[in-house]
Amino acid sequence: MQPILSVQNLNKYYGNQVGCKNMNLTLYPGEVVGVVGESGSGKTTFINSISGNLIPDSGKILIETGNETIDFLEISESLKRLLIRTELAFVHQNPRDGLRLDVSAGGNISERLMSIGQRNYGKIRQTIFKWLDKVEIDKSRVDDFPRTFSGGMLQRLQIAKNLVTSPKIIFMDEPTGGLDVSVQAKILDLLRKLVRELNLSVVIVSHDLAVIRLLADKIIVMKNGEAVESGLCDQVLDDPQHSYTQLLVSSVLQV
Amino acid sequence: MIELNKITKKFTLHNQGKTNILVFNNLNLKINPGEIVALTGPSGVGKSSILKMIYGNYVFQSGQIKINNHNIDHKYPRNIIELRKNIIGYVSQFLRVIPRVPTIEIVMEPLLETNSDQDEVLEKAEKILLKLNIDKNLWNLSPLTFSGGEQQRVNVARGLIRNYPCLLLDEPTASLDSVNKDIVLNLINEKKDSGSSIIGIFHDEYSRKYLNAREIDITKISDAK
Repeated sequence: MQPILSVQNLNKYYGNQVGCKNMNLTLYPGEVVGVVGESGSGKTTFINSISGNLIPDSGKILIETGNETIDFLEISESLKRLLIRTELAFVHQNPRDGLRLDVSAGGNISERLMSIGQRNYGKIRQTIFKWLDKVEIDKSRVDDFPRTFSGGMLQRLQIAKNLVTSPKIIFMDEPTGGLDVSVQAKILDLLRKLVRELNLSVVIVSHDLAVIRLLADKIIVMKNGEAVESGLCDQVLDDPQHSYTQLLVSSVLQV
Repeated sequence: MIELNKITKKFTLHNQGKTNILVFNNLNLKINPGEIVALTGPSGVGKSSILKMIYGNYVFQSGQIKINNHNIDHKYPRNIIELRKNIIGYVSQFLRVIPRVPTIEIVMEPLLETNSDQDEVLEKAEKILLKLNIDKNLWNLSPLTFSGGEQQRVNVARGLIRNYPCLLLDEPTASLDSVNKDIVLNLINEKKDSGSSIIGIFHDEYSRKYLNAREIDITKISDAK
């Protein structure tokens, strides 16, 4: 099997300041890769650099589209935008960054559908209801504005909005970050089910090792903009080899 | 078949004075299909470490681990993930699940990896939960609030719902009453008779005898002190 995403030797600097350097990542279809590290370690710079939100200074981002492998950094701006609307998706920590608050819930979900050329109102409406159901938002809320939604509902709406076009690769930056623990559990359950049902390929950033352990197959541990350790998720967490990972794992409070 | 050849395992604790702990030096072990091996010895001697090396949770410094002729190689995490999907099953001592997910879904999950027929999987999950005496009223609740024995049986149900060619068991009967212990042991015997290679830790002699297990005293092969 071919990896769906392969990042090679990626570097991103802010002036002289290292954002992230020498980063590598291999993501296979149906796989979840977690990126962990303390704040300031470069996790968000890394995920932004491989998803089109930031332009890295050097490196390769190879995406397997099914019939060809393209280098995300070499393609035209218009093709890039098309990919971002169709094959890639980005779930922000703050759902308000990923949603249009002055457009109805249904309108938010339909945006990506319309951008890939769907015009049949009835069909679009059907897809919207299917996705509201998947993320457990009551159908009756379809025409309400997101600003009337709770934090957990907003996050579920953002997930629906992003997944509606069946993107090949989903990037998530702290998707359960600002949520209270009971809502967090519900989102985690939803994400796990969607990953299995739709065979999603996900890169997820989190500082919460417990979240990563429950979701990820593989893990990358970052410190000062570099990967200090990577590999099978529960191996890195159960038998960490690098001193920083050992420190990180042993710093988690047990409940 | 599970084979460990010349395994060296040590822990280096970087943040605690770079302490080195040597657990195994030249560990050899072979578990044939249809055989149960029971690891014995006091705690801290490396019994769980052996299971975790086989499952890929722990790295080893040298030697070879082969599962049905596939190498456990941490350079290729993808291969270990595939082995876990199809070949190695693991019943751990403790249940680790997402809060609020119903018991029945937790038990169904390993089968859904390979079988997408929801009804068929549901039926199998119900069957094994009934067998393990988990009350029907509990199936739609999260097991996190269950008693220790119930949680352990949910864990066993999840681990044994599939027929893995290789099975790792970490004290699967530790907190069970005698009736439920026999039920779990019978299930394990069924797996053995169907040709699984099984290695486990069973802290009571009763279980080991019941399973007719080949006992290996780890103190004789471990370097942990």
